[in-house]
Amino acid sequence: MALVWPARLLGLGAVVAVLALLPRTLEDFTNAYASDLAFVAIYFTALLGLSILTGYSGQISLGHGAFMAIGGYTTAILMSEQGLRLAGHTFSSDLRDVYTIPIAGVVAGLAGLLFGLPALRLTGLYLALATFAVAVALPQVLRRFETLTGGGTGIQLFGLPQLSGLGVEVNVFGRTLPFNDWLYYLCWSIALALLVAAWLLLRGRLGRALRAVRDSEVAAASSGVSLARYKTLAFAISAFYAGVAGSLFAIATTFVNPDVFPITLSIFLVIGAAIGGYGSLLPLLAGALFVQYVRNLGDDAADAGRLPGPVAEFLARPGGRDLVFGATLIVAMFLLPNGIGGLLRRAAEPLTSRLYTRAS
Amino acid sequence: MADLLQQIVSGLASGGIYASLALALVLIYRATRVVNFGQGEMAMFTTFVAWSLANHLPYWAAFALTLVIAFAGGAALELLLIRPIRDAPVLTVVTVTIGVLIGLNGLARLIWGNEPRQLESPFSTEPVRIGGVAFSLQDLGTIAVSLAIVAVLWLFFQRTKVGLGLRAAALNPSASRLVGVRVGAMLALGWGLAAVLGAVAGLMAAPALGSFDQNMMQPILLYAFAAAILGGIDSPLGAVVGGLGLGVIVNLLGTYVDVVGAELRLPVALLIILVVLLVRPAGLFGREAVRRV
Amino acid sequence: MIRKLPFLACALALATAGGAQARGEADPGVTSTTITIGGTVPLSGIAAAYASVGRGAEAYFKYVNARGGVNGRRIVYKILDDAYNPANTVQQTRELVQQERVFAVFNSLGTEHNLAIRQLLNTLKVPQIFPATGATTFGSDYGRYPWTTAGFQPTYTSEGRIYGRAIGQMKRRARVAVLYQNDDYGKEILNGIRQGLRFAGRGGRVVAAESYGISDPDVSSAVAKLRRSNADIFVIAATPRPAIQAFIAANKLAWKARIIVNAVASASNTMKIVAASTGKRAEGAVSIVFLKDPNDPKWRNDRAIRLYRTIMRRHGTGDANDVYNVYAMASAYTFVEALRKAGRNPTRASFMRAVTNLNIRNNPFLLPGMRIRTSARDRFPLDQARLQRWSNGRWISYGPLLSPR
Repeated sequence: MALVWPARLLGLGAVVAVLALLPRTLEDFTNAYASDLAFVAIYFTALLGLSILTGYSGQISLGHGAFMAIGGYTTAILMSEQGLRLAGHTFSSDLRDVYTIPIAGVVAGLAGLLFGLPALRLTGLYLALATFAVAVALPQVLRRFETLTGGGTGIQLFGLPQLSGLGVEVNVFGRTLPFNDWLYYLCWSIALALLVAAWLLLRGRLGRALRAVRDSEVAAASSGVSLARYKTLAFAISAFYAGVAGSLFAIATTFVNPDVFPITLSIFLVIGAAIGGYGSLLPLLAGALFVQYVRNLGDDAADAGRLPGPVAEFLARPGGRDLVFGATLIVAMFLLPNGIGGLLRRAAEPLTSRLYTRAS
Repeated sequence: MADLLQQIVSGLASGGIYASLALALVLIYRATRVVNFGQGEMAMFTTFVAWSLANHLPYWAAFALTLVIAFAGGAALELLLIRPIRDAPVLTVVTVTIGVLIGLNGLARLIWGNEPRQLESPFSTEPVRIGGVAFSLQDLGTIAVSLAIVAVLWLFFQRTKVGLGLRAAALNPSASRLVGVRVGAMLALGWGLAAVLGAVAGLMAAPALGSFDQNMMQPILLYAFAAAILGGIDSPLGAVVGGLGLGVIVNLLGTYVDVVGAELRLPVALLIILVVLLVRPAGLFGREAVRRV
Repeated sequence: MIRKLPFLACALALATAGGAQARGEADPGVTSTTITIGGTVPLSGIAAAYASVGRGAEAYFKYVNARGGVNGRRIVYKILDDAYNPANTVQQTRELVQQERVFAVFNSLGTEHNLAIRQLLNTLKVPQIFPATGATTFGSDYGRYPWTTAGFQPTYTSEGRIYGRAIGQMKRRARVAVLYQNDDYGKEILNGIRQGLRFAGRGGRVVAAESYGISDPDVSSAVAKLRRSNADIFVIAATPRPAIQAFIAANKLAWKARIIVNAVASASNTMKIVAASTGKRAEGAVSIVFLKDPNDPKWRNDRAIRLYRTIMRRHGTGDANDVYNVYAMASAYTFVEALRKAGRNPTRASFMRAVTNLNIRNNPFLLPGMRIRTSARDRFPLDQARLQRWSNGRWISYGPLLSPR
């Protein structure tokens, strides 16, 4: 364990360095990369939540997109004129986008807590499918409660005074940034802060208790760990992360409607977490990159010139990209059954076991 | 009264399709402890295969040949994609089935294009009216085929040696291996049978839907998941009861509860299932793992 | 900071599209040999069947390019896949505008999808031309969104009104039942029908309306509920798959009502499936038509349809019997005509003026006699249609060109 922190800080430092260098080295960064990379940060944040839940407390969620939707809608409703309509008055808040982010996280976290309580009754697969059901049902519910959510038309954020820089140019710390660059810095700052928060949270009592619950509920309970408290807590924390991600998603997309958070979003989070490795944190970056880039392979305008002709042609045929994505995913799972995180752990294992344990 | 019966009959007809696919999910769950997200797309793919075959062969010949191909395909998927990672975490295997979902969908588009197709029904679609309730032989056929398949499977599981081996391999692989059950063959067999069930679901769904395309099974898969957890993911009987029950509940909710209407049919049905799960955490017919803490 | 300057310059250029012209610089997307435009279309996912709306237009532009382009410029049309998710539409559109620097966004598909990008495009002063949707707001809200035009089809409201009026002529005191999709599209048609029935003034009214969700596997329960109303006209305002199910369900319930099916689901290949599943029930169904249907034997030797088939063979990728390709070409044809009128060195502003000042009588892919007319205050390129009746396996158009207003 002693090696973990230096390795983590090294990893974090490397990530920060790369993120700081990219805007200075990539050609046409603002237009070609900034927004896509901001979405990587958003997926990364959501994946952190999923990994905390599944990797540390053993509860499986196939519906984390629902918590992203709750976060995204919270932000959109707080920013816009949309609001609760009571007794003929509409109560809207007109908050600036950045202030809605923590609120969105807390609202989603509370939703997670509420869902976590009944979820205590469910184990493994039943819980997984129950979360899946929630994610399937939520868009329909959002569509129905029009006064609050704008129904199918959704809520437009672009051009609102509450959106930083009206979605065009943002003044921050005396500098003027294009909106895309602003998104890049905003999303990555929050993602990395939440990564460090996760490390710190899971370091002490909480992490130990959750791991004990995951490894053996019976053993954990008999050593005095309250299963109910820790399992619901894990759900709440995890939903908080997803809610923040959803909030950023709404800000970056500058638009929400029920189709923005489809069931496929939840599925892509499962894919990302599997690629990164459940129980890992930093390696989830690989999962976030996979979700953002491999899925769009061959469609991204930037790819048009880079791929060889026949490959681009195949990807443009109906179903071509889906086939390649599905196959890539399967191959990735074959090569990395425990994700990138599992690979790294295994690579580090001989060294740590050599150093800290006696060969048995 | 006729309205009520009408909604129940049409609910049973859709429910029969959900039940077949739910049963396929249950079979794979029992064999490999995995929820197979690819189940719907496997069914869709075999429906396209049947459509291609039906252009050259009489319907029932195409039907039979499709089931054979489905069996081989299902078993092959298990051998090629699932077996090599059998020791990986469950979520890794589930993710591979998601890869199967996406990949098969793409492959079907690549082969057959995006246009909707039509598969003829083996049963007459001419309406029959009895006591104010309208239905077609096809509705009855869908329900009958689903029930017949369940009966055959039940006999197979309960009364044949292979079926016994399948059950044993699912429950306790290592002990089964010790008493001479070829566990590997049993798993492949389970996947093959599940693919056959899915194929039946697809072949019944395509004419019932009127037309079919690569997305035909996605909404049905959602209902099949719901049916499987309602009935209990390890219970074949539960899958059938869950599927038929869900078909009826959803129809009645949409028709008789005005607040629910069309939009909230699915959410409310799912809510009911969640409530059922809170009372019976392993579904209506599932076996609850004894666990006291 | 220095690295940011090129973007700022570009952003300023975007913000003052007119000013750039004065300095003799071209607008984004225009070079001496090319003009780059783009749009999003679902090439994958649940709505991939609409891919031909993009591919058909692409084929037409290739044909135009092979014949020398527009004023010596080739049209480069970038289609990005949004998988029918509006979040992707926004991201891809931003990519088109910022990274690809497209001159205009053309033919992006979907009502919610175009709503999602309308504010963005208008703020950046990028033309949003002929969005592939029939929602009225794109043509009517030009005060707030001057860079946007309506889609290249009669609006859903117009379509509903035409049905309402036609019902009035079919029958006095008609009792109408409507199945509609539970979104803006479905609700607009429903409202249009109600308005049309009022205009007709023959006492017809909507006695039952049921919606369905796009993820519902089956609509037969909703149809059974409508059946109870004993309506004598049944309007199906649905996309192809639920529409087919609605026909089958009506047939099963022995509901003798006359069926009207909206244009979204009235392509011949869809109706052939209906006819095969329900036998005689499809006979006499009514819909509107404004395009030449390549499956209609009437057009087999029509010059435009022959040209269409040639273009599909040389430049197309999909099925030439898919009428969405004709829609796409009709739209692309009009786009090209507008571009020709936007001057030798078109700017976004001059192009918008041309698009809102059209008077085209001879779009070959539309029905004879149809006229495309727009003005600054009328941004609906076409608002006319004829009625057609399904008879013996094909549509037969009848009656005069109808206008909803």
